[in-house]
Amino acid sequence: MKRILLACSSGMSTSLLVSKMKEVAESKGIEVEIWAVSQDKVPSEMERADVLLIGPQMRFLKKKLASDAEKVGIPLDVIDPVDYGRIDGEAVLNKALELIGEN
Amino acid sequence: MKKFMEFLENILLPIADKLNNNRHLTALRDGFMVALPLIIFGSIFVVIANLPFLDKLLSAEAYAAYQNALGPASAATLSIMGLFVIVGIGYKLTQSYGGEAIYGGVVAVAAFLILNPQELDGVSGVIPTAILGAQGMFLGIFTAFISAELYRFFVKKNWTIKMPVGVPDAVSRSFSALIPITLTLSIFLVIRIVFSFTPFETVQNFIYTIIQAPLTALGSSLAATIFAVLLIQFFWFFGLHGQIIINSVFDPIWYALNDENLKAFQAGTELPNVITKQFIDTFLVGMGGTGMTLAVVILIFLIGKSRQTKELGKLGGPAGIFNVNEPIIFGLPIIMNPLVLIPWLLAPVVVTIFTYFTMSIGLVPKPAGIIVPWTTPIGISGFLATGNSWRGAVLQIVNLLIVMAIWWPFLKILDKNYYEKEKVKN
Repeated sequence: MKRILLACSSGMSTSLLVSKMKEVAESKGIEVEIWAVSQDKVPSEMERADVLLIGPQMRFLKKKLASDAEKVGIPLDVIDPVDYGRIDGEAVLNKALELIGEN
Repeated sequence: MKKFMEFLENILLPIADKLNNNRHLTALRDGFMVALPLIIFGSIFVVIANLPFLDKLLSAEAYAAYQNALGPASAATLSIMGLFVIVGIGYKLTQSYGGEAIYGGVVAVAAFLILNPQELDGVSGVIPTAILGAQGMFLGIFTAFISAELYRFFVKKNWTIKMPVGVPDAVSRSFSALIPITLTLSIFLVIRIVFSFTPFETVQNFIYTIIQAPLTALGSSLAATIFAVLLIQFFWFFGLHGQIIINSVFDPIWYALNDENLKAFQAGTELPNVITKQFIDTFLVGMGGTGMTLAVVILIFLIGKSRQTKELGKLGGPAGIFNVNEPIIFGLPIIMNPLVLIPWLLAPVVVTIFTYFTMSIGLVPKPAGIIVPWTTPIGISGFLATGNSWRGAVLQIVNLLIVMAIWWPFLKILDKNYYEKEKVKN
């Protein structure tokens, strides 16, 4: 079971992406738990996650969250703006799995 | 052009970084987030207490009884929102330092209450609720910052009472907070006593007169609002979350103005402010998503020819109804797209001015101080924000049409571009 955490300002627009990613994962038979939270909840939610992806509009958070993520020992990255705009669940899911794989 | 954009982004990103990662601004923003559910709860009951036509259906007595029965809901939440913001800031700031957050929260409240008048019209032993609302907001914010910092400072000094081994952890923890809290609150008591010898009499009065009143007056001006709106749009143009960055600075002012209107609305007197939190959220920035992009979605359905824009309309439409518009911002795209820069900046400014004037001349009621969740669809949110007035809903529709008109030529060019590229490809 891979656990993917998405974060944006209020967890609203990333939750659009969550449902798309879940669809893709299901069709491919990948077992995942994906959820979206608002940025202030990230530090506490991070402990449950294997990877953290940040909405591109919040990319200025990367530096701050990177040090938190390092403590928990999970990778993080900013979601590609083009994928984000297309709500491209597959691309973001692949990216997340790739990051987990590298870790 | 691309170079110039990159140059600008290199300037903006560090600003966004600084503003958003500033410990105090983050605590301030998160503090408001703590208060938000309570604020919305109170708002719901203000709306229910002021349902349209009810005053005509019920007798005057029954209507007053109805309003009195519902009154405590907002009196205990929305009207004293400052209190929850203070707890939130004290809590979040202490948490950010890794301290015991709940003590940071309660110390902030106690320090705030120490600085405030504890009598009203000669009656002692009361805390005027007015200071727990917007009137005390600025003092509350400063107090929460300072008390949480002092608390942390004294905890770090480690002048704590050490408990012998074998004392339960919770017991020793309650003592460990004792000295830092005592010292912190003593300082605030001294401040209170010092101020009682000044013409301001209370710190509350001092901060309100010297800082809050001038700042809110400035913040309630049309120019300051246009400036804030432009900044939000500008940050978003570079794909950075404008509201998150700008609101942490403007929210205290906008909420304070909002609360003044709420008090007047509930008292049935003339509403003092046009510019309020809801003015920004419901009629400008948040209407159909930042930059009012629901208008763009509708335009796409009306004039879109290219596959790219049509797909985007289908993708972004449903979310746009609930004012979530990241698909449009990143998908059209709006970010870094020089072709849409003009309507992106121009439309919100025109709508700001238009809305300001329709409310100033009384064509549409001013926002009643009710906080409507930002995901509420257009029409409903305008109705609720203006204290259940259909004019508020109509204004939103008119604003939407204005945005559509401004975007029309630009979207047409963009769409044609895409369309021709698609034709070449096929």
